[in-house]
Amino acid sequence: MNLELQKGSRSKTLAWILIVITAVFVIRLFYLQVIQHGYYVNVADKEQIKRLTIPSKRGVIYALDGSIPVPLVMNQQVYTVFADPQTTTDTAKIIDTIRKIAGGNARTDLQKLLDTKDSRYQILATKVTRSQADKIKAEKLNGVGFQEESQRVYPEGSLAAQTLGFVDDSGVGRYGVEGKLNDRLTGKDGLLQSVTDVRDVPLTIGNNNINRPAVDGDNIVLSINRNIQSYAEQALANGLKRTGAINGSIIVMDPQTGKVMAMANLPTFDPSKFFEAKDPAAFNNNVVSAPYEPGSDVKTLTMATGIDKGVVSADSTYVNTDHIQVDDWTISNATFGQTGTITFQHAMNWSLNTGFVTVAERLGDGKSITRGARDTMYDYFYNKFRLGQNTGIEVAGEVPGTVVPPTTSEGSAVRYATMAFGQGLDATMIQVASAFCSIVNGGNYYKPTVIDGVVDKNGKYIPDKASTPNLIIAKSTADQVREMTHVARTTNFPGIDNAGYYVGGKTGTSQVAKNGTYSDDETVATYLGYGGSAELSRYVIMLQVSGEHQKLAGNLDAMPIFTDMSNWMLNYLELQPKG
Amino acid sequence: MSYQRTQTFNSRRQQNWSRNQNTVAYVSAIKLGPVSHTVIIALMITVLGLIYLTQATRATSYDYATQKIDSQIAELNSQKSDLQIENARLTALETVKNSSVASTMTAPASTSYVQQ
Repeated sequence: MNLELQKGSRSKTLAWILIVITAVFVIRLFYLQVIQHGYYVNVADKEQIKRLTIPSKRGVIYALDGSIPVPLVMNQQVYTVFADPQTTTDTAKIIDTIRKIAGGNARTDLQKLLDTKDSRYQILATKVTRSQADKIKAEKLNGVGFQEESQRVYPEGSLAAQTLGFVDDSGVGRYGVEGKLNDRLTGKDGLLQSVTDVRDVPLTIGNNNINRPAVDGDNIVLSINRNIQSYAEQALANGLKRTGAINGSIIVMDPQTGKVMAMANLPTFDPSKFFEAKDPAAFNNNVVSAPYEPGSDVKTLTMATGIDKGVVSADSTYVNTDHIQVDDWTISNATFGQTGTITFQHAMNWSLNTGFVTVAERLGDGKSITRGARDTMYDYFYNKFRLGQNTGIEVAGEVPGTVVPPTTSEGSAVRYATMAFGQGLDATMIQVASAFCSIVNGGNYYKPTVIDGVVDKNGKYIPDKASTPNLIIAKSTADQVREMTHVARTTNFPGIDNAGYYVGGKTGTSQVAKNGTYSDDETVATYLGYGGSAELSRYVIMLQVSGEHQKLAGNLDAMPIFTDMSNWMLNYLELQPKG
Repeated sequence: MSYQRTQTFNSRRQQNWSRNQNTVAYVSAIKLGPVSHTVIIALMITVLGLIYLTQATRATSYDYATQKIDSQIAELNSQKSDLQIENARLTALETVKNSSVASTMTAPASTSYVQQ
């Protein structure tokens, strides 16, 4: 038997066919896998690899209760319940279930929504809680689905609403701390890139997987004390009710740190229902965003300037005629009759404009408010007390106001004369209160802040380091002005403060400029004061009340609110009376 | 010119070793051709592929387990978050002010201080 393969045998033919077929496969595979590699990898990646955003959690905002953080703003997972009308079967059951479980969150026209058969997506209920969603899911309703989302919740209701601000529907913080610190609160979304199965479950196979965890936003602890904030809002509301004023603002600060303990405005709004607010002006925190002519409160700063420059003291005297001439303008006192040679303490007690115009004159040549006097006043008001410029407080919408420099044509002697008693300049309450803190604490200016620290991921409260103050006036100057305001208060309003404490303050009644002139039928009432012991002031309170076409007075309309708040603070801080 | 062995060959040594024993050594008549080799190699590749798939599937099963645990963690975190919110609401100032305990409280008639 000859087993030798012969040329042209069937085996050889088969071998060649196999080789050709194999070659075709190899060439085709080479084309697909090598030449077209990039294209098919992309096609496969698009099909298999999913890029999922890992949303960062927005930071929680806390207030303080003593030294313990308590949440003011939290996050809650809520659900939007929707239906695909083309796949729903038991409409009556769906309507009954949604109404029974979602209650007020359900849409009113459910039947109509479910009858819209040309639509594939109809929202049946919004803001449904997790437990409600679980109950609806348990009913196994055909064609009903859920979308998860996060919303801000406010356990304390509208407390400190304008300080907090709110988060809009697109997840962006607006107004208040939410607006100012939006980036810090938002955090950074993470990324999960992975091969997934048909149910989008990420699998570990694949070489291009990315798992970058989300960085959650900071949990911020405000220096706002919720008890003080609550009482401040209540005291302000009571004050408005008593005086009939329309608007009111109040700020309570710790003069030894510059931290804001309370900050409130009325009218206010509910941040959980910000979209229902009738007037968006209620979103503004007027303490930082509404500059006004502060009025006689500024006399404390004028006096501090004069004492610090050594041109006057509390016991210095001047001749009061109830009027004083500055260039071609005559400036008069609001209260007449305290004429003759009187001390500047007396001028402070009676809030006599002439006294503080005299201080401004003595900063110059003693007879007129010279350019040198104006330069000095500007240096103290703008550079030291920082009126007319943003303080940098962590609340959105801060407005700088205006202190006209003497270098401009508007910075005349007349303007600086009016600035000496708190008109002719625009300043916010946060600016004035911060400046007054430096008088109360011995001359140190602290940058005002509403931030006290953070709560870390383990729930541990980490307070910020104390800020470093700037000594802007001599301690002796600050102490003397502080004493003057104490004397002014106890002289004008004896016996209204809790006995055994050291409380002082200054009224302010300022005219309102409208269309370039001062209105005859509208004034803003202000009170600026402090309290504590003779050795250490523990709080500074500034408040103002106002209203369209309302003439309000600092001593009648604002001062009682201060007294209410101040006496409560003395009890709340558990300060021991002396004597 | 091709050469082909036409009969079984036994070495002399083997013949010597097996002298008088009448033994015969056979060469297997089964021969594997190129097709068989290809099939065997294909089978081997298939087996190796199956082994790889088994391992990959096992890894994937861990992914499902991980996913399940992650879901449980997310669910528990969600429950924890809800409880924290409920706790915050129950301890909110308004809730405390309106509580039955608060309604029975009265202001002190007088306050005494310990001398420091």
